[in-house]
Amino acid sequence: MIIDRPDNRIFRVVLRTALMVLAMSTAASAADPQPVNYDEHIKPIFRQYCFKCHGEDPQKADINLTSFTTILKGGSAGKIAVAGRASASLLFEAITNEDENARMPPKSPPLPAEKIELIRVWIQEGLLESSGSKSLASVRDLGFKPSATATIKADGPPPMPEKLPTVQVPVTKRPLPILAMAASPVAPLLAVSGQEHIKLIDLTNQQQVGVLPFLEGEPHVLRFSRDGRVLMAAGGRPVQSGKVVLYDVRSGQRLTAIGDEIDEVLAADLSPDQKLIALGGSGKVVKVYSTEDGSLKYKIAKHTDWITVVAFSPDGKQLATADRAGGMHLWEPKNGAILLTLAEHKSAIRTLDWRSDSRTLASGGEDGLLIWWDASDGWPAISKNGPHTPARPQGVYGKLPSGVLSASFGPTGQLLSAGRDRIVRLWDTNGNQISTFPIPESLPTQTAVSYDGATLIAGDAAGKIHFLRSPKP
Amino acid sequence: MSLSLRQLVALAISTMAIVFSPIVGRAEDVPSFRRDVMPVLFRAGCNSGTCHGSARGKDGFMLSLFGYDAKGDYYRITQDLVGRRVNIAVPEQSLVLLKATGKVPHTGGELFKKDSPYYQAIYRWIEAGAPDDEDKVPEPVEITLTPERMVFTGAKATEQTKVMARYSDGSTRDVTHLARYLSNNSTTAVIDPNGKVTAGQHGDTYVFARFNRFTIGSEVIVLPADSNYQWTKPPAQNYVDKLVYDRLQKLHLLPSELADDETFVRRVFLDLTGVPPTPEQYATFVADKSPNKRDQLVDELLKTDAFADVWTAIWAESLRVKGGGYAPSATDIKAAETYFEWIREQMQQNRPLNEFVADQVVASGSNLTNGPANLYTMLVHDVRFIPKNFAADFSQLFTGVQIQCAECHNHPFDRWTMDDYYGFVSIFNGIQRKQGAEPREFYIYNNAAAAPAKNIVNDRPVPATVLGGETPIAPNTDPRVALAKWLTAPDNELFSRNLANRIWAHYMGRGLVEPLDDMRISNPPTNKPLLDALAQHLVDSKFNLRALVRDICTSRAYQLSSKPNATNALDDRQFSRSRLRRLRADVMLDTIVQVTGGERGFGNFPQGTKAIQFYPRTSGDTGGPHPGDPFFETFGRSSRATICACETKTEPTLSQTLHLIAGDTLQGRIGGGGVVPKLIESNATPEAIIETLYIRALSRKPSADELAGMLKLVGTSTKDRRVYEDLFWSLMNSTEFMFNH
Repeated sequence: MIIDRPDNRIFRVVLRTALMVLAMSTAASAADPQPVNYDEHIKPIFRQYCFKCHGEDPQKADINLTSFTTILKGGSAGKIAVAGRASASLLFEAITNEDENARMPPKSPPLPAEKIELIRVWIQEGLLESSGSKSLASVRDLGFKPSATATIKADGPPPMPEKLPTVQVPVTKRPLPILAMAASPVAPLLAVSGQEHIKLIDLTNQQQVGVLPFLEGEPHVLRFSRDGRVLMAAGGRPVQSGKVVLYDVRSGQRLTAIGDEIDEVLAADLSPDQKLIALGGSGKVVKVYSTEDGSLKYKIAKHTDWITVVAFSPDGKQLATADRAGGMHLWEPKNGAILLTLAEHKSAIRTLDWRSDSRTLASGGEDGLLIWWDASDGWPAISKNGPHTPARPQGVYGKLPSGVLSASFGPTGQLLSAGRDRIVRLWDTNGNQISTFPIPESLPTQTAVSYDGATLIAGDAAGKIHFLRSPKP
Repeated sequence: MSLSLRQLVALAISTMAIVFSPIVGRAEDVPSFRRDVMPVLFRAGCNSGTCHGSARGKDGFMLSLFGYDAKGDYYRITQDLVGRRVNIAVPEQSLVLLKATGKVPHTGGELFKKDSPYYQAIYRWIEAGAPDDEDKVPEPVEITLTPERMVFTGAKATEQTKVMARYSDGSTRDVTHLARYLSNNSTTAVIDPNGKVTAGQHGDTYVFARFNRFTIGSEVIVLPADSNYQWTKPPAQNYVDKLVYDRLQKLHLLPSELADDETFVRRVFLDLTGVPPTPEQYATFVADKSPNKRDQLVDELLKTDAFADVWTAIWAESLRVKGGGYAPSATDIKAAETYFEWIREQMQQNRPLNEFVADQVVASGSNLTNGPANLYTMLVHDVRFIPKNFAADFSQLFTGVQIQCAECHNHPFDRWTMDDYYGFVSIFNGIQRKQGAEPREFYIYNNAAAAPAKNIVNDRPVPATVLGGETPIAPNTDPRVALAKWLTAPDNELFSRNLANRIWAHYMGRGLVEPLDDMRISNPPTNKPLLDALAQHLVDSKFNLRALVRDICTSRAYQLSSKPNATNALDDRQFSRSRLRRLRADVMLDTIVQVTGGERGFGNFPQGTKAIQFYPRTSGDTGGPHPGDPFFETFGRSSRATICACETKTEPTLSQTLHLIAGDTLQGRIGGGGVVPKLIESNATPEAIIETLYIRALSRKPSADELAGMLKLVGTSTKDRRVYEDLFWSLMNSTEFMFNH
C-alpha cells in the first residue's frame, strides 16, 4: 500500500545518503545500524503508550496502531501519517501538541523525548515497516533545466531608461529603508524603493540612471515584467491609501494605476502576460484586477491574516499567495480556483519567489524556515530550519528572531536569501550554501540577482544598497 | 491692550497643561526609547490589556502589557514590519503617530494631539532614527505619590497629586504627566488623568498612581460637610478596640451599642464551636451575674474540641483536602484521611501556626502515612505535579498574594515581576511524586538537581528565590527548607498579615483586606494599623491561634450590635457594627441537627460525624470536585475546585430558601427529632413550649408581641404537636436563624 498522492512524479529510490543526516541526529539510530522501522522500534512504543485506546479493541477514533497496514489506513479523521513529513502527520502532531488537553496520551506526561524523536525519524524516513522495507517517501529531483519560456527575447536592445523626465525627490530626514527592490530579468537594471519615488540603477556601473515618481507614498513592492519593459510599483501610505502603478521602463511614463485601497499595498505582482495584477495587504483579501480596464476580476478571501506576498509563476499558470499567519496557497490565475495549499510555515511569510522554470517556488518567513517547494504537488522538497538564525549573544536565552526576509532566484536557479542574522546567503539548486555576505551594520531587507546572475544585490533597513558580488566594470 | 484676570488665569492654566518638567539632571541629547517612548505608550494606554497589550495584540499589533518587555516592544515597533510603524525618512508618516493622533482610522481613537509632549517625545525619537537603547538607560526603582493622605470635608473639594520617579542612577523625574491613575471607590473620590483628586460622598478609599512597573496609593478620606460629630468615648477592651475606634474617629463614625447577652452567646457559640448554645448552655450564661462572664465563656469555648473542628474544617477546605479521584493524582481516601487527621491533631494541640505550615512545606514521603506531605497532592489536584500551578496556589493561600499574574507579565497592580514569579516557581520545580508499591501510594520528594523554571519572555532560567528575595536559594539543596524558614519567619509580614486577616475575617465577617486572598498594593487594608497589630500579636504569641482569637472575641468590636446608628448605616468595612453573616453550610447543617435533635449520617464516615468534620471523599471518584453532599452544594460549602477563598460561599440564594421550605432537611428532622412531643409530654404551658423553641432555634426568648401572636396561633390546640412543629418550622425558616447577627 502506497500513500503517495497520485500526481506525484515519483522516484521511489531510497536515498540512504540523504537520510544519514536524519539518522545521525538521533542517538537511537546512531547506535542501531537498522533503519528506524515499525516492527523493531515503533511498535514497542505504541504498545507501551497507545494500544490501550488505539488497539484492536477499543479503536478510539477508529485508529488502530497494532499493525502497519491499519496505521497506513488511518482513522475516522483520515490519514494519520504522511511518509517523509512528520510536520503534516496527525500522529506526530498528537504526541507533540503543546496543549496538554489535546496531547496524546491523554492525562499523562508527554512521551519521552527520545521516543518522540524516534517516531519523527520513522515518519521522515518514509514509514519503514521492517528493516528491509522500502521508504514510502518519494525522493525528488529539483534539478534546474532552463526552459524555453524562461526569458522572453526582447525585440531590439534590452529595455533601459532613456531620457527620463527630471523628478523632484522629496528631502527626508534620512533614507527610507529599502522596502522593495527588483532586477530586470533581461537588462542590467535595478529598481529600488525610495520615499515617494523609485530609483533606477544601471548595474554595469552601479550609477543611478533615473527616478520614477511614486507620489502614492512608499513603494512596498517592485516587479519587472518578463520582458523587462514594464516596472510595477505597489505601495501607498499606511492606513490611508494604496495603489499599484505600472511604468514604461524606457520612457518612465506611467501606463496605468490600479486599485484604490484604504491601506498601503503590501503585496502585488503583474502576471507574465501583463493582463492581471494581484494585490493584497492588511485587508486579508487578495484582489486580482485586469490591467486592461482596471476592473476587479476576482477576490481570494481564504487568508486569515494580512497578505504579505503574492507572485505569479513565470509560466503564468499559477499564482502563489502568502499571509502573516503562515498561510500559503497556489491558485489558478484565470479565475482564482485553488490548486494547492502549502502548509508548512508557522508564522508570517515574508518572501516568495518563483524559479524561472516555474517548477520551484521558494518561501521564507519569521518562523525561520526557508523552503524550496515542488510546485507540481506542493511538497516541501528542501526545507531549511533557521538558516538565518543569528549567533546567540551571551546571556540571551530563548528563541532569537531568525526570520527569512527576502529570497530571490537567479537565472541559473541559485537562490539569494537575507534574514535577521544580517547575513545574505547564496544557495545552489540542491539547497547547499555557496557563499555568505555579512551586512553587520544594518538589517538586510531585500535581495535581488541581476539578469545574468553576475551581480548580487542586497538592500538594508538603513536605506543602503550593497553590491555583494559584481563583475569588474 | 490688556488681558482680563480671567484671561490671564486661563492662559496660565493652558500653559501649565503642556509644560512638563524634563528628567532632572540628565543630558537630553539623544531621545531614548525606554526613557521617553515607553512611558508614553503606557500613559496613552497603547499597551493596556484591552488594546495592544492584550496577549494577542489588537488589530495585528501587539505590545507587552504595560510595557514589561521593552526589548520586544522595540522589535515589534521598529523591526517587525520595517518602514511601516515608524518611518525614519518621514517621521510624521510613522503609523504609530498617525494612529495615536487619530489622523488615520484607529480603534483606540485619538490618544493625544500633535502639539502634546507625548507626540513630541515619540517624534523626536523617530527623527533621531528610532535608536535602540538597551542596557544604556537608567531604570525607575521607586515612585512616590504625594500627598500620602488627603482628608476632604464635603464633596467636590479637590487636590492635585504629584508623582515622582527615582531612577537607578539616582536621578529623579516628575512623572505626574506620564502616570496613570485609578480610584478604588469612585463614589468617595475620583482621580482624573492629570492626577487631580475630587472628593465624593462620605467615606474612605485609596487613589493610585502607576508608572513603569510600580503602583502606589494615597489614602483619601471624605468627611461630611455639615456634621456635628462628637466621639462618644465607648470603652475599649483591648488594642483591637483602640485601633478600630481610631479609625472610626477619623471617619466620623460611631460604633453601635454593645450586643445583648442573648445575641452574644449565640454569636460566640456559632463562631467558636460551629453550633449555637443548647438551651442549658444558654440558660447558664444568661443567668451568670459575673461581670467578666463573656471573657470566661470565650476562654471556655476555646478549649473545646469543637473549636479545633471548626479550624480543621477551614484549613481542610483551604488546603483542598478531598479523598478519591483518579489514581495518579495521589488523592486517595487514605491520603485524605491521614492529612485531615494530622490537621485536626495540630488544631487540637494548638500547634503554632508557623510550625503547622512549615511542617507541610518541607514534608516528604508517603501520602498514605505522612499527613503533611499531602500538601503536594491536595493543594493542586492533578495527575501530575505542576510547579506553576502549585506555586500560584501556595502563594495565594499562605501569603494572600496572587503571584500568578506575573506568569505572563509583571503584576500590573503590585510589585511582583516575572522574575519574582519564576524564581518562586523554581522552588517547586524539583518536586516529584513517585508511585509506591501499591497504586494508591505516592512518595513525595525533592529532586535537588531539577532545572529552574524559565522566564517566558526571554527563556532565561530563574533560580529558586523566595518572593521578593534578593539572592537565590543555594543550589543543590531542598529549596523548601529555605522557603519554610522565610515564609514562617516572625518578620515575614506577608505570612503573619495573611493569617491575621483570615482569622479576623472568620469572626468579623469581612477581612481587613478583602478578598482575603488578594493582597496587593492596590488593595490596601481598610485599617492598616489594626492589621499590623493583629499580625504583630500573632507573631508575639508565637503564632498562637487561640490567643489571637481571644483578642478578637473579647473585644468590644466583636461584641457590637448589628443595629446601625445615625452615623454608621453606610459603613460596611470599618467594623462600627456587627455584620450579618449567613451561617457556613456545615455550621448550618450542624445547627439544624442540634436544634431539631437527632443525628445525620454521612456516607463513608462513621456514625456521629458532624458536618464540620466532613470532607469530600468518594472511592474511585473521577467526577471532578464536589462538596460531597447535596446540602453542602446548596449552601455553598467549598468543593475544593480551586484555591480561591471564594469557594466557601455564604451568599443567601433562592435555592437555599426553597430547600429549607420544601426540602427534606427541616421537615423530616422537626418531626423525627422528637423535640416537640417531649415538650408536650413534660406538661409545660404553651408559653413555656414556645419560649423553649425560641431558645433552641434562635437563642433568645420571644418578645411579648411574638409570644402573643404565637399563642393566638396555638389557640386551643395546646397539645397538638403539629401546631408547635409548624411554629418550630417557621422559626427555622426565618432570616434570623440563617444568620449569625
